[in-house]
Amino acid sequence: MKTKVNKSAYGYLFISPFFIAYTVMGLVPILYTLYLSFTKWDGFTDPVFVGLANYERLLHDTFFYQTIGNTLIIWIFSIVPQLILALLLALILNEKFIRGKHFFRAVFYFPHIITPITLGVMFALMFDWQTGTINKLLMNAGLIQDPVHWFNSPWWSRIIAASVICWQYFGFNLIVFIAGMQSIPTEVFEAAQVDGATKKQVALRITLPLLRPVFLFTLITSVIGGLQLFDAPLMLGDGPGNSGRTMIMYLYETAFKAFDYSYGGAIAYGIFVIIMFFTAITTRATRMLKE
Amino acid sequence: MKTKKWLSTLLAASLMVLLLAACGKGNGEGASSASPSPSGSGSAAPATQSAAPADLSGNLVVWTYFDQVKILAEQFMSKHPNVKVDVQVFPGDQYQTKLMTALQSGKNAPDIMDLDHGYIGKFLESPYLADLSAMGGEDLVKTYVPYVTAYGRSADGKLRAISDNSSPGGFWYVKETAKKYLGTDDPDQISAMVDSWDKVIELGKKVAQDSGGKVHLIQGASGLFDIEAFNTETWVKDGKLNIDPKWQETYATQLKIRSEGVDAKLGFMSSGWGSALNDGSVVLTSMPSWATFMIDNKDGKAKGKYGIAKTPEGWYNGGRWEAVYEKSPNKELAYEFLKFVASPEWQKYNLEKTGNMPGNAAVFDELQDTFKGEMYGDQLILKGFAEQMKNMPAREPNKYDDEILSKWVKVASQGIDNNTPYDDVVAAFKKEVKNTYPELKVE
Repeated sequence: MKTKVNKSAYGYLFISPFFIAYTVMGLVPILYTLYLSFTKWDGFTDPVFVGLANYERLLHDTFFYQTIGNTLIIWIFSIVPQLILALLLALILNEKFIRGKHFFRAVFYFPHIITPITLGVMFALMFDWQTGTINKLLMNAGLIQDPVHWFNSPWWSRIIAASVICWQYFGFNLIVFIAGMQSIPTEVFEAAQVDGATKKQVALRITLPLLRPVFLFTLITSVIGGLQLFDAPLMLGDGPGNSGRTMIMYLYETAFKAFDYSYGGAIAYGIFVIIMFFTAITTRATRMLKE
Repeated sequence: MKTKKWLSTLLAASLMVLLLAACGKGNGEGASSASPSPSGSGSAAPATQSAAPADLSGNLVVWTYFDQVKILAEQFMSKHPNVKVDVQVFPGDQYQTKLMTALQSGKNAPDIMDLDHGYIGKFLESPYLADLSAMGGEDLVKTYVPYVTAYGRSADGKLRAISDNSSPGGFWYVKETAKKYLGTDDPDQISAMVDSWDKVIELGKKVAQDSGGKVHLIQGASGLFDIEAFNTETWVKDGKLNIDPKWQETYATQLKIRSEGVDAKLGFMSSGWGSALNDGSVVLTSMPSWATFMIDNKDGKAKGKYGIAKTPEGWYNGGRWEAVYEKSPNKELAYEFLKFVASPEWQKYNLEKTGNMPGNAAVFDELQDTFKGEMYGDQLILKGFAEQMKNMPAREPNKYDDEILSKWVKVASQGIDNNTPYDDVVAAFKKEVKNTYPELKVE
């Protein structure tokens, strides 16, 4: 007997809004960018087909390679302290005896609500060479004699960019970690307590291992997000010798400041390949860890 | 059952319509409903004569990045009550991209657009700007400051954009501070004290010494970039990168300014720069006239507080030009608007209201012996600028200059901070230019 599946055509109608929106807002621009990357186009004249010339240029572009390095450095400098901080605070805030947990959770989450542009401007002002608060504080405390020109040092530029991102996202990761901790069955903790395990042992032997899936989740999402760093670093500037310029900043400067849309398109696809590569690595690592 | 199905279909369909409507929002709003102006529809009326108030009617859409254009539109509308001018302000970087997209697609494009000094070059060579010369525009700019007109011409010599402002630069100073550290607040005396960069450095050393290093003579060594920007040759000549030797001299001066403690190391328009301009913690601020909007003059706080002295070299910075969209259905009416922009009537009003310096030299001539700004006491501020403006070399815009200058500023500023030798700065600069503009020859 044949089972009859009801294939009403209305179903397609109901799911169509998403697909239409995606085609118009997502797919068409993506494909158009691909088309542009094979042309020479300044936004005014008609695009001229140039084949792979833009990609050839990209392969020899040392500035582009530099931005990949910058992005990775900034990402690592932000993700490592961010996860450590989030994890430590999550462990503390998950304790029963802490008062005002909800208050602290909310406070730590606040930076995540602020737009990165605002944070970027704020940090740029704080670390300003002549008028920044940080320099004023350090000078008043007698720690330094002359103001430090933070953004004239490649490493400080990167560290400041990284700390903006770290500060913005640790609260989000904190919430994710707390959620993960609360999903660990209480029986496990009770059993440990009965066996006389210390707090440290509980944290290291039970909480952390059981948090592994949550860790992986944050890591994967942060790879994709971290490689697309843009708004906050943009507000902080290119840094000395372009040492603070990220991949997407370079894309922005090429396409929307120098109005070389076609080469901008090629950069976009270059970035796409790089992100795919790192995502693949993370996925592979995840699979290995699970086994 | 049937009705239910019908209802759900309707619901889904209406959701889709809503979604698509949201996507396409604004597609129609710019297409101004045009009732062509009866007076402008032919070239019957002589171009220089403004049409009688009641003659003009219709709607105009103006795109700009500058808020004060609203004042211009209000004045125009009060003169021509039957015309409605819709000023749409898009601040920041997005403006240029938005404008390019609108012009290229031809949809939602404005009748009149504002173009900044920084990027007007490439717009002038595009097919989107109406030829104002053919509409009688040459008569409007007969008495103009030469460099202002030159910057609105395309390579074929046709006038395509008109500006209501020139942007002369000078040293602004708080009189009290000047008196304290320079011994005088008289603009002519101060101008004479700083009429060469060597004198600036010597005077700067003295100010730093007298104040114990707390007060500086000028805001930043980077101010020299703006002053020299149009006192040097263009950056691109015959498809080749051209570095005017004057930049080497300027760079040496900048290094000296920095090492002798002459400048407060503040960048133009940075927050520290703004406070120094207002509280007088730096003696001289080099800036173009339009930057006076940074002066806090609430409740007449800055009344008589400032003076303006001449910089070692005359200069200007920035400026805003207005052009008519070639395919605008309201071209004639838009031209009437530009006529108003170019008129001494508006530029006088603008000068008094906002302090923006006129582009029409006739206004300079007429008012230079009488005009005093509220913030400047008895100083005849136009007089100081009149000669400077008329004598500035007229320069043709090109599509590279602004972006290449900004690269030079970026690289050379880092050089000043690190005391880098000139040759290293040039090498880094060439690398940047070559990377962004592979089509240019860089030697």
